[in-house]
Amino acid sequence: MTAIVEAHALGKRFGARWALADCTLNIPPGHVVGLVGPNGAGKSTLLKLACGLLTPTSGSITVLGGRPGSGREQIAKVGYLAQDAPVEPALSIADHLRLGAHLNPRWDKALASARIASLGLDPKQKAGKLSGGQRAQLALTMATSKHPQVLILDEPVASLDPLARRDFLKLLMDTVAEHGTSVILSSHLISDLERVCDYLVVLAAAQVRLVGEVEELTAVHRWITCTRRDGDTLPAGVEVVSAKHTDRQSTFMVRSDTPMPPGDWVSEPVGLEDLVLTYMERGPASAGPVAPRNVESAR
Amino acid sequence: MIWLTWRQFRFQATVTLTILAAATIYVMTTGLRMHHAYAADIAACPHPEIGCRFFLSFQGSYNAEERLLEMLVFAAPALIGIFWGAPLIAAELERGSHRMLWNQSVTPTRWLAVKLAILALAALLTAAVLSLLLTWWASPLDQRSNDRFAAMTFGTRGVTPLGYAAFAFALGTVLGLLIRRTLPAMAVTLAVFIALQIVFAAVLRPNLLPSTAATMPINATTMSQVGGIGTGPDPSGPVQIFRPGKADAWILSATNLENSSGHEISGNQVSTCLNNQSLDLTGIGDCLAPYNLHIDYTYQPADNYWPLQWLETGFYLALAALLGGACFWRIRRHRD
Repeated sequence: MTAIVEAHALGKRFGARWALADCTLNIPPGHVVGLVGPNGAGKSTLLKLACGLLTPTSGSITVLGGRPGSGREQIAKVGYLAQDAPVEPALSIADHLRLGAHLNPRWDKALASARIASLGLDPKQKAGKLSGGQRAQLALTMATSKHPQVLILDEPVASLDPLARRDFLKLLMDTVAEHGTSVILSSHLISDLERVCDYLVVLAAAQVRLVGEVEELTAVHRWITCTRRDGDTLPAGVEVVSAKHTDRQSTFMVRSDTPMPPGDWVSEPVGLEDLVLTYMERGPASAGPVAPRNVESAR
Repeated sequence: MIWLTWRQFRFQATVTLTILAAATIYVMTTGLRMHHAYAADIAACPHPEIGCRFFLSFQGSYNAEERLLEMLVFAAPALIGIFWGAPLIAAELERGSHRMLWNQSVTPTRWLAVKLAILALAALLTAAVLSLLLTWWASPLDQRSNDRFAAMTFGTRGVTPLGYAAFAFALGTVLGLLIRRTLPAMAVTLAVFIALQIVFAAVLRPNLLPSTAATMPINATTMSQVGGIGTGPDPSGPVQIFRPGKADAWILSATNLENSSGHEISGNQVSTCLNNQSLDLTGIGDCLAPYNLHIDYTYQPADNYWPLQWLETGFYLALAALLGGACFWRIRRHRD
């Protein structure tokens, strides 16, 4: 099966700043991918590159085997919801649906109107008069009703209240279950992602810090608490991700592809949030090109 | 796509159609009256080529209307550039809605092609209607004034407004795409358009076709055809001829009065002729003839009017096409 996203040494520069640098990814299909990272980590840039709104400065990216934005068929396969959930303010909701039906080859009219009805929105209402959450719902309807194979969502729940957020994620999971859609979802709220994602990409300072299936990642990482010692005294094959020392005690996050051998330490499982935060704080994993700090991704 | 273009453009279209309708009604009512009056005047005038007294008052009485209509035709291309061209892409970029629209299984290139084609056509049509209205309305006045090359006349009659409109529209679009914000794009569009209009009228238009050089001796025959003669505020300064040469030609440059050895003469030398209130222009010519004076001047002959109109329009249309191409190039390169 073709990868959802395949990137090789992908980079995007705005002026002198690298918003994304040396990004290599291969995400298999059928996943709900969570893209996490602090503000300005390059999340939006990566997603815009994937839907063709941006073209790479260096490297290459393919989505479902095709160059993003390369033609009608490619755009039809990829649903995209931009960060601020843009709509045409002068058009009514019904106008938006009509637009979608005209332009997309696989538009699901029934799904679109059912979605609007279930939200309790008046189709005659102008999109410019909607609240932030309603606008996000409309924009999401535009992105999903065209039956894409990949749904790319840039911070979709940021403007939703907790209830709408829950409904939204449930709706998303229903769509995935029903149509087998792959999803890439960015957020800086790990708790949102924890509920729905089975694949994780951690971005920080324009670089990929961690990639993998959630289950696998949580299985190979452990907290190790022991009397104070250096990280390199731990058994071979154990990679120290982070180390914290007090006067008498050391706490390590370690990555080990084989089960931890028993020793004079306490070994505990790592939660997703701790895992993500630790990898975000850590410097670049490999000696790649040094990425500038505080890169702002949105343009 | 056509429907969306119409929806996004509905407000401008309504305003434009309202203005066009109002202009048509105004032109028709005042124009028919004027054309009737003109026909009656012609009938009452045995030799219109020599002139009749009431032609003067005829021209004067429509001055205000003519200025008003010329302003409208002159401003229309700039307004099209500002209100159609500049927001065409910039408004979407500014709102961010291109991120939604350009992901509805239509490539940005196709969006651009549809919008550009529809609105460029509308711009050409609008300019054509306005130019046609004014050209018809002012035809008696233009016939009398014999000054078709005057900047305001040349640029508001015939085909030139079409070139201006297409160019201004393309300019607005490309600037909107580059600047990405509507208001600054509008301002820059206006500035660039006005600058080019001025440069073109002052520098390029006179040189589009080779001009003709001629010498006019000063005598009763030649002086009967000129517009006037006189010095500046200083009566001892050089003597100028106003509107010399052939009727309906475009005078590009003319020297002051010179004697047979090519030296400028001063007003004092011929003050007896110039200050004699009883002489008309023919009389002044008679009076000046013994001095053996002449002026050198260059002009575009009247026959060059339409070649110049087409050349200028072609130039602006070519520029518009070039800018349209730049839009496509730009939208392919940088989309967000």
